[in-house]
Amino acid sequence: MAKSASGAACDCEEFYRQVLDAMINADRTKAAAIIERALDCGIPPARVIAEVLDPAIVQLGTLWEGESMSLAQNFIASKIAEDALLRCLPDHEKDRDRKGVAVIGNIEDDFHSLGRRTVGLFLNAAGWQVVDLGNDVPAEQFLEKAREVGARVIGVSAMMQTTAMNIRKLRDLIDGAGEQERIKLAVGGAVFNWRPELVTEVGGDGTTRNAVGADELFTCLQEQARIPERAL
Amino acid sequence: MIRKTVWLACGVLRDELSRLHRDEMIGGELFFLDSMLHMAPPLLERTLREQLRQRCGACDRLVLVYGDCCAGMLDLAREFRAARTDSINCAQLLVGRKRYRELMREEAFLVLPEWAERWREVMEEALGPDAAAARELLKEHRSVLVYLDTGMVPVPVRQMEAFSAYSGLPWRSERVELDTLLTGLMDAEARAMTIMEGEKQ
Repeated sequence: MAKSASGAACDCEEFYRQVLDAMINADRTKAAAIIERALDCGIPPARVIAEVLDPAIVQLGTLWEGESMSLAQNFIASKIAEDALLRCLPDHEKDRDRKGVAVIGNIEDDFHSLGRRTVGLFLNAAGWQVVDLGNDVPAEQFLEKAREVGARVIGVSAMMQTTAMNIRKLRDLIDGAGEQERIKLAVGGAVFNWRPELVTEVGGDGTTRNAVGADELFTCLQEQARIPERAL
Repeated sequence: MIRKTVWLACGVLRDELSRLHRDEMIGGELFFLDSMLHMAPPLLERTLREQLRQRCGACDRLVLVYGDCCAGMLDLAREFRAARTDSINCAQLLVGRKRYRELMREEAFLVLPEWAERWREVMEEALGPDAAAARELLKEHRSVLVYLDTGMVPVPVRQMEAFSAYSGLPWRSERVELDTLLTGLMDAEARAMTIMEGEKQ
C-alpha cells in the first residue's frame, strides 16, 4: 500500500469507496478532492482510473440498473465521474495526432452528449486527433467527415434504443460504399450497456462499456482497418 | 362490432390526451401511469410490462403513448403487439421533430405543463441531496427553460419563475397546439391497426 507525503495510507479500495459515496451524494467538490488525494499519494493516474474511478462508474451503472438511483441522480453522478476522470488524464501533448484521427458524434436524433464528450476527452488525452461532430449527426455526415480527414474509426454514440437504430443507416452507408474494410464503426452509449446484443443489431464493429476503454477499442479497430496489401 | 383502442400513456400528457378524447378526436380508453416513473426507467419498464400484460388481448388496438423512456421500450411494443408513438420523448411528441431539434440546439430545458407543477419534487428530491450541484450541472448543459404551453391550464408563471430562480436559467413560454400530438397519436393508432390486421391473416 502506498503512503502519502503525510504518511497516510493510500488504498485504492478505500478511495473507490469514498469517491463512489461522493458521486452518489452529488458532492462534486469532495469527489475531486478524493481524486487529488489519490494522485498526491503517488498512485499513477492510470491506476487511479482503473482501480478507483472505473469500478465506481461500473457500480453507478449497477445501482442504476438496480433502481437505486434516479435518472437525474445518475446523470449528476456521471458528470462528477467525468470531472474526476479529467483530473487523471495524462498530458500527451507531444504524442498528439500520432495515433490517428477519430471521428465521433451522437447519431441523428440523439442529444445525450455526456458520454460522447468524455470519450472524446479520453481519446484526445491518449494521443488521438478527435473530430467531434456533436449531437444529432446524420449518418451521411459521419462518413463524409471520415473520408475528408482520413479517419479509420468512426465512434457513434446513442443513449436510447430508437436512436441507436439510426446507426444502422451509417453501417449501410459504409457497406454500400464498399468501405467496410477501410472504416470501422465503434458504437457506445448507455443502451449498449443494457443491451449488448444491440451492437450487432446496428452493425457496430466494437464497443466499450465506458470512456476508460475508448483508446483500446479505437486502437484495435484502427489496426483492423489497415488498408489491405492488395489495395496499396 | 365496435373496435376499441386502448391508449397506455404517461401521465405527463394526461390533460392533453383527455382533451382530445373529450373532443372526440381520439376514441377508445385512456390509461395513465405516473409521470415520475420516467425518473426510474427500470421501474417504468416493469410497470409497463405488467400493464401491457393485463390489457393485451382485452382490446383491439394497443397504443403506447411513450417516448424511448426505458431501455426495452421497443421490445415491449413488439412483445405485446402494441404500436408506440414515434418520438424519442413526450416533448418531441408535442412539438414535432423539427422544432424539437431547434430547441435542443438552443440548449433548451423543456418543461411540460404537468411537470411544471412538480419541478420542485423532481429537482429537490430526485436529483439528490446537493441542490447546488444539481443547479450547477443544469446550467452547464442548458441555457434556457422553455415552458410548453398546450393551453390546458394557464401558464404557471409563479412556478416557472421559482424554477428559473432556482436553476439560474431564464425562462420563456412557447405555445404548442395539439395538432402535432394528434397526428402522432393517429399515426400510432394506424400502425396498431396494421398490427391487428397482420395477426388476423
